[in-house]
Amino acid sequence: MSVLWLFLAREVRDLRGNSRVWPLYLILPLLAIALPVVFAVAMPQMIAMGQAKGDPALLLLLRTVQATPEFAHYSLVEAMTRYMLRNSFAILLLVPIAISSTSAAFSIVGEKLQRTLEPILATPISDRQFLLGKLLAALVPTVAATWIAAAAGAILVDALTWSRYGSPLLPDRFWLVGVLVLAPLLGACVVLVTMRLSARGTDPQAVVQTTALATIPGFLLLGAIFGKALTIFFPALLGACLLMLIVDAILFRGNVRTFRREEILTRWK
Amino acid sequence: MISARGLTRAFDGTVAVEHLSFDVPNGKLCALLGPNGAGKTTTVRMLLGLIGPTTGTARVAGHVLGRGPNANRALRAACGLLTETPGFYDRVSAWDNLLFFGRLYGVADDVLKPRLEHYLRAMELWDRREGRVGEFSKGMKQRLAIIRALFHDPKVVFLDEPTSGLDPEAALAVRELILSLKAEGRTILVCTHNLDEAERLADLVGILRRRLLAFGTLDELRAGTGGRGRAGNGRTVRVRLVDAAADHAAALAALPGVRAVTPAATTLTVRVEDFAAVVPRLVARLVEHGAAVLEVRPEAESLESVYLQCVRGDEHA
Repeated sequence: MSVLWLFLAREVRDLRGNSRVWPLYLILPLLAIALPVVFAVAMPQMIAMGQAKGDPALLLLLRTVQATPEFAHYSLVEAMTRYMLRNSFAILLLVPIAISSTSAAFSIVGEKLQRTLEPILATPISDRQFLLGKLLAALVPTVAATWIAAAAGAILVDALTWSRYGSPLLPDRFWLVGVLVLAPLLGACVVLVTMRLSARGTDPQAVVQTTALATIPGFLLLGAIFGKALTIFFPALLGACLLMLIVDAILFRGNVRTFRREEILTRWK
Repeated sequence: MISARGLTRAFDGTVAVEHLSFDVPNGKLCALLGPNGAGKTTTVRMLLGLIGPTTGTARVAGHVLGRGPNANRALRAACGLLTETPGFYDRVSAWDNLLFFGRLYGVADDVLKPRLEHYLRAMELWDRREGRVGEFSKGMKQRLAIIRALFHDPKVVFLDEPTSGLDPEAALAVRELILSLKAEGRTILVCTHNLDEAERLADLVGILRRRLLAFGTLDELRAGTGGRGRAGNGRTVRVRLVDAAADHAAALAALPGVRAVTPAATTLTVRVEDFAAVVPRLVARLVEHGAAVLEVRPEAESLESVYLQCVRGDEHA
């Protein structure tokens, strides 16, 4: 078995017994399933109520959706529902961001607390293998939870709306790229930042909070600035994926370059 | 073989280990003794290539210590390490913990699993292999950590406090295991505070306090001859006479190989450099001097006494 998958397999075994982490793997994905279902089922009523009240935000949104060529051949309700479901991948992006910071913090600070780092570093594995193994170990369960939630949400949405629209609402290409590509890349970014911060931390919760402070405001800001473009212009979404890939590669390279076995062994108490 | 030459390590200007030079030949067991903070763990980490020396070099299991983060992978593969604290994943079973580490060493499952079974049975942990390590006692974790140091069949084994936290029966089992490892021809370096253990197991003893205060065989250290450093005050011979000991003390003091003579009632306590060379001459001189000798009892100096002289001598200096 590859060294990288060894870390993952061990992490999964460890996770099963970690009652402080696994509820996160349930709660956030359940929210990510519920939100699109609510959008899909309640959208006709929400539009009707908004139009009746003359809600300016809703009317602006409706005009934007109507002006988007790919929704032109749908009814107003279906176009709006499809657009809102596409936007719902934002919550699926939050799943890897939130879970991977916690799982990475426990994964790395946990090594410190359980004094397992020296025995690991005494084996013949390289720094790159160790760091990549830890990255995968923290990321893969998170991405799996995200994808399972996404698939479950899509199946539920389509099952509940098929009779109304006669065709599946999910997935669409934005949703697919967001869930399959952007979510893992965001998760990797968070794990890599957590790994960097973990070197100085001894309390997993403190590391999670520091990571959240270091990453979430940035993601929210970028989401506020570019969020609309990401759900309307497909090249913008692909560009965001490429950008995250580059950021992840730079972070990983930086982590490998700054990884100091000596520092870990002599300063981690 | 372990061969260190001038190993020195400083942390932020503070010297932890200084000019360490010693050799442990193949198949020999060396006990490294020293007070807390003496640099034993730093020495082991340097010899394993886990931390780099500030100056100096070493050759371990045929591999010269390299510089850089990935330079010592072959060296680490050839060595086993028992860390100061066992360090296992508490929520994972003993078996899965050992499998994980064994696979990190690159041992194939068909080799690893029978070896694990062998060692788990030897350490009386086979029946607990599916139990979570977090539920294990300190002694059980320590035995598990010893298995982890051995399952990849290393040529050189570093054991940091191997019997720490073990009950007497388990400690005995570990000591027997260590002796069997030595019998298999492995080179072993044991860091310990347990002088009795060092005395029972070691071919060579090093007394470390930032620098190597003494290094040699037990006999060399006791005699304060040979080896490195002058650790012991020699050996002691107690001679019981019929008449007053003070009458004969001066006759022995000038004898070559005698370091000190202390009379008390009818007993002379004589410190000598070497039993075989000095005791026959000593008895002959007493008889020449008219003493009636009742009993001659050689007493080897304990390692504890040697150790304390060494460490206190260094404190004094």
